Order: sequence, then C-alpha cells, then structure tokens
Amino acid sequence: MLYSNFFPLLKKEFKQLLRNRQLLYFLLFIPLLQQVMYCLALDPQVKNLNLGIIDYCNTDITRELTAYLTNNEAFLLKFHKNNELELINKIKNGDLDVGIIINPDFERNLKANKKSSIQVLIDGVDANSANIASGYIGQLIYNFSQLLNPYLPKQAPVIKNEATFLYNPGLISAWFFSPGVIGMVLTIIGILVSSSSLLREREIGTLDQLLMAPVTTGEILMAKLIPLIIVLFINVIIGLSIGFIFFKVPFKGSFIDFVIVTFIAIIIVLSIGITLATVSNNQRQAMLMSFFISLPLMQLSGAIAPLESIPEPFQTLTYFDPLRYYVICIKAVLLKGADLSILWPQILPQLIMAVILITLSSHKFRKQLN
Amino acid sequence: MSGFAHILAQSRKELIQFRRDKLSVRLAFLLPVMALLMYGFATRLEAKNIPIAIFNFDNSKLSREYIDRIFATTDFKPSLYTGSDITYPLDNEEAKASIVILPDFSRNVLSGKTAKIEILIDGSDINNARIIKNSFFALTYFFLTANHLYQPQTIIEPVSRIWFNPGRKESLFIVPGAIAVVSWIFPALLAAFALVREKEDGTILLVYTTSLKAYELILGKILAYFIVGFLEFTLVLLIAIVIFKLELIGNIFLFSLNSIFFILTGVAFGVLIGTRTNNQMAALQAVGPVGFLGNMLLSGFIYPVHNILYPISLLSYLVPSRYFIEALRNFFLRGDSISNHLGITLFLFCQSLFLIFVSIKNMQNMQLKDN
Repeated sequence: MLYSNFFPLLKKEFKQLLRNRQLLYFLLFIPLLQQVMYCLALDPQVKNLNLGIIDYCNTDITRELTAYLTNNEAFLLKFHKNNELELINKIKNGDLDVGIIINPDFERNLKANKKSSIQVLIDGVDANSANIASGYIGQLIYNFSQLLNPYLPKQAPVIKNEATFLYNPGLISAWFFSPGVIGMVLTIIGILVSSSSLLREREIGTLDQLLMAPVTTGEILMAKLIPLIIVLFINVIIGLSIGFIFFKVPFKGSFIDFVIVTFIAIIIVLSIGITLATVSNNQRQAMLMSFFISLPLMQLSGAIAPLESIPEPFQTLTYFDPLRYYVICIKAVLLKGADLSILWPQILPQLIMAVILITLSSHKFRKQLN
Repeated sequence: MSGFAHILAQSRKELIQFRRDKLSVRLAFLLPVMALLMYGFATRLEAKNIPIAIFNFDNSKLSREYIDRIFATTDFKPSLYTGSDITYPLDNEEAKASIVILPDFSRNVLSGKTAKIEILIDGSDINNARIIKNSFFALTYFFLTANHLYQPQTIIEPVSRIWFNPGRKESLFIVPGAIAVVSWIFPALLAAFALVREKEDGTILLVYTTSLKAYELILGKILAYFIVGFLEFTLVLLIAIVIFKLELIGNIFLFSLNSIFFILTGVAFGVLIGTRTNNQMAALQAVGPVGFLGNMLLSGFIYPVHNILYPISLLSYLVPSRYFIEALRNFFLRGDSISNHLGITLFLFCQSLFLIFVSIKNMQNMQLKDN
C-alpha cells in the first residue's frame, strides 16, 4: 500500500522535473560555461607584464641587458624611449607595470669596477604581481651580471634545491580550477534548483493538493529529493567530462570513491536548498538568499585561490564550509588518486554536516506542511 | 501627462512595490555588503603559513639551522606529520611540500661539495606550488650568503621602488574590484526581476492597455533601480572606505560620473534581460553568469586581464567592470589624470545608452502597434 503510493509520486516528480526546460540549461550550459571560463580565463601565473625601459646609456651592454630582461615570458617590452615623464605617466595610468631607468654612467661604472645601479619602478596596485615582478627583475639582473663578468671567480653554490611537483607536474592551471569548478557549480545549482522547485509548487498551490494525497510528508520529501539527486549527479558528471575532454584533467582515483563523496555533497546542497525554500516567501527571496549562501561557500572553499591565502579569522571559518571538504576530496581523487582510507578526515565533517542539515531541513519542511 | 511625468510615476510605483517586500529589501543591501566583506577580507593571493613537512636525515647543526631559517618567516609552518614516509603528508593534505635533507648534507657542504635538498611539492595547488618553489630558492640563497658559504659578486644592483601601494597590501588591490563587482550584479538582478515579475503576474498586459509608452516604462524602471543601485553602491563604497581605509586621491567629479554610468550599465543590462525573458528563473540564468563570470573573471578583478587567453580576452573589452575597476584603482590608489578617465567614461556612457536603446526597442516590439 505504502509503496504503491510512493512510486506514482516519484514518477510525477520525475516528469515534472524533466518537463522543465530550464533544467537542461542548468545541466548542460552552466557547467560548460563555468569550466571553460575558469580554465581559460583564470591564470594565476604572473606573465606578460608590460615593461618600459629608458636607456640613457645606450651601449652594447645596456642593449644586451634590455634584450635579456625581455627575452622571457614574464615581461613584454612596451615602451623604449628616452622620455622619463612619459614613462612615469604610463606607470601612473596603469599602462606599464614595471619601468626601468638605466643611468648614463652605467657602463662607465661597470668598467671602473664600481657597482652600477639601475632604477626599477613597479606599479604596486596589484600587490601580488608587484612582489613577483620585483623578484623576477632581481633574479634576471643577478643572472645577467654573472654572465657579464666571466672573470669573476666561478663558484657553484654548495647547496642546491631540487624541486619536484607531484600530481600536476606541468602546473597546468585547468587541473587546479576544473575540480573546484565542479564543486562550485554543484553548490550554486543544487541550492537554486531545489529551493525554487519547492517554492514553485507552493506558489502554484499544488503543494496543498499533495498534502491531501495518501502519502506521508517524508514520502513527499523523498519523492522530491530522488530526482534532484539524480539530476545533480548528471550535472557533476558533465562537469567532470568537460574537464576530462577539453583540459585532460586526470582521473587517478576510483570512480566509486568519487560517487560517494559527490553523493554526500549533493545531500548537503539539497538540504540547504530545502531549508531556504521553507524560510522564503517567494522565488525572488529564495534566489537572493541562495546567492547569499553560495557566495561565502564558494569564497571559503579554496576552489579559486588556495586556502592558505585566506587570512585568519576567515581561515578558521573555512572549516565550517562543506564545499571546502568536497573540493579537497575531488582534487585528491582526481589528481592524487586518493582513496577513502586517506580521505576520511575530509569526509567525516561532511557526513556530520549532511546529517545535521538533512535533519534540520526535513524538520522545517514537515513543520511547514503540517 | 507628459512623458517625463510618466517616467517619474512609473519609477515611484516601482520603488513602492520594491519596498513592500521587506526581506528582499534587506537582502538587496545586505548581499552587496556581505560580498564586499567576503572579497575584501577572505580573498588573497599571497599564501601564509603553508604547512611544510621536514625530513631531516642529517640532523646536524647546519641542517637544523637551515630548518630554522624555513620557519623564520610567516610563509611556512611545520606540518603536524612526524613519520618517515615523504609522500604521505602530501597525499593526506597534511603538508603542501616535503623537504628532504639527505644524511650527507652537512658533510658535503663542509667539504665544499654540492649538497642537494629535495623538495617535493603538491602541484595540485598551482599557486602555492610556485610560491613554495620560489621561496625555497630565495631561502637557500639567503642561507648560503648568511653563513658565508657563498659570496656572489653582484655588480649590477637593482634599486626598486614600489609605487602607489608601498606596503603591498593586497586588500587595496582586491577591494576596488569588489566594489565594482557587487555594484553591478545586484542592481542588474533586481531590475531584471522587477520587469519579469510584471510578466509573471500578468500586470504587463495592463500596462500595454494604458497610454504609457515603451520608452516611458523602460526609463521608469531604470530610474527606480538606478536609485536602488546607487544607494547600494554608496553604502558599499562608504563601508569600503571606512573598513579598508581607502584614501580618496583622485578627481571626485570624474569618479562620480564614472560611477553613475557604471551603475547605469548594470541596471540597463538587467532591464534588457527583463525584456527578453519570461520568468524570474530565466532572468537569473542570464544575469547570473554574465554578472559573476563576466565581472569576476574577465575584468582583472583577481588575476590580471592580460593573462586571459586570446579568443576569450576579446570578450573582456565588453565588460564594464574592466573599465570601472581601473577607474576605482585610479581614484583610490594611483590618483588619476583626466585623459586616462575620459576613455572609461565614454565607454560606460555609450554602453548604457546602447543597452537602454535595445531595451526600449524590445519593449516596443512586444506591444501592439498603434495604427
């Protein structure tokens, strides 16, 4: 008796969900757009900085120095004139990131075995790039001066670093962003779709009709959740495939582990969505609220910038962000080939959050229905 | 009534209707502020306290000094892992790098041979990975010179000066960007919702039957949400100035002009989407991705604009935030020259005009023609 009522309800929910044309958009377009945009548009590497050089000395050595400074990925020579005012203005306007001024006595000093200095002006507005640019210039000039003077006593440093990058040896930025974007898309869409599908039914008034049907509120909730879980799962798989096909993101771990962590993450976002639906009165409120929730969840997840770069009080807050654990988990499964025995410290907090949220949301939902 | 009175009446009606939904009003102002604080406080690129696992198989005075050097700055902190499996802490998220000092380290150094320090870095976090690699090269170099193990002859010395942000505070870079992002997205969303709601509720049909012209309806809506948007912007700006201690060093007149046109581009885009879509969900689907992806990824908000790959980089020229973020950084950090601003002002002005024009055309096409 119980089952015969539950399955028709489930069938109805499936039909209702699949009839929704917007779902297709959410399922296909958003993951595609986000994956492509994040992986192509975001590149944290500091490169192609616009460099301006004023060379008052203008001898072979300084021309060689100019070539040495620009013959790399980091700097592009955008200005090469003897006009100090223009150089300074261009830095002020943001047209140039770095300006270098070589004094007329540069070569004379070198020949007299005195230290020659060159002026380096850096636009510090982008603090991170400025830091890195300053380091690059220092390194390039150091290397250049080693090249210049072959008579200097050559001595190899007695300590040498050998750095090896594990898991992403080429430091491909898409490999970093793609798993994070899967988590972000799941969060945005999961919260939006679940809260709005519940609210729509309430706005149209069909939720009241459901109440009169011979099913329990638990069954109503289950019938609503199961199609959503499947749909969100497809969404994650689509995001994963895009990363795999377009950006060749590896999948080193086991698919079962991926399914398990994804399932927990889906339960969490759905519970958040249901809770939102119960506290909002209309769709606009629910949508604004879902932004209100997903934004900090995404910002504190480490999907866009590393967790270590988040300043303190906020870094502690990341431990309450379920997305943080999910992003770590899928990165570990995809790139490191980690399994559940390694990931349990990340899964446990997720499980606890899932249990709390699902209890809270189903309680709220029941209370509203009764 | 004249056209102007119609516009005013329409925007008054819109504002009254907006005020009625208390939760939405609160969210309309709370959301931008929260987003600003989130970006301003929690978004940084420079990592601090990266956990590092040390495997010191040498255990001499020299290697211990080297390790002290690693943790002398706030860049790194020791990992809690104390076992002897060098990849274990990386697999388990307990450390971002493992440093291996081999048993013959100090013997090699003292006899003048080259001693290797192996650094295993978790490359899945690309940003951290680069920072770790570069920091360790600098650190080893510093350690060598400080211990008189290596005296490099430097004959050319760069004298660097960092302008505009000498303390290299990242908040000064992020916050102007955040102001632009939040004061575009939220007014655009509200404006789109407002127009679409009329369609959902069917009240748009009533509007068609009145003498209200398409341009009056559109301009009325734009005016109403421009007021809302401008209030949001002012609130966010004030909070940013107070909390993040931004200094106003640019030309305030030009800046105000840019701000007005910038908010107008957001509101006009929202209204344009409102004319093209038929329900709030669809409106959100259009404004959301454009707002978040366009304004955040294609504007130079987090990572520099010139890092964007070629075909997509062309799109960034259409993104109003790209220009307004420059205007904000000029106003708060660089101090601006007028020539630099006119291009920004002109672009924002033309874009808002274009969006308004297209919205009015769309609206006219939806109404029945007067014969």
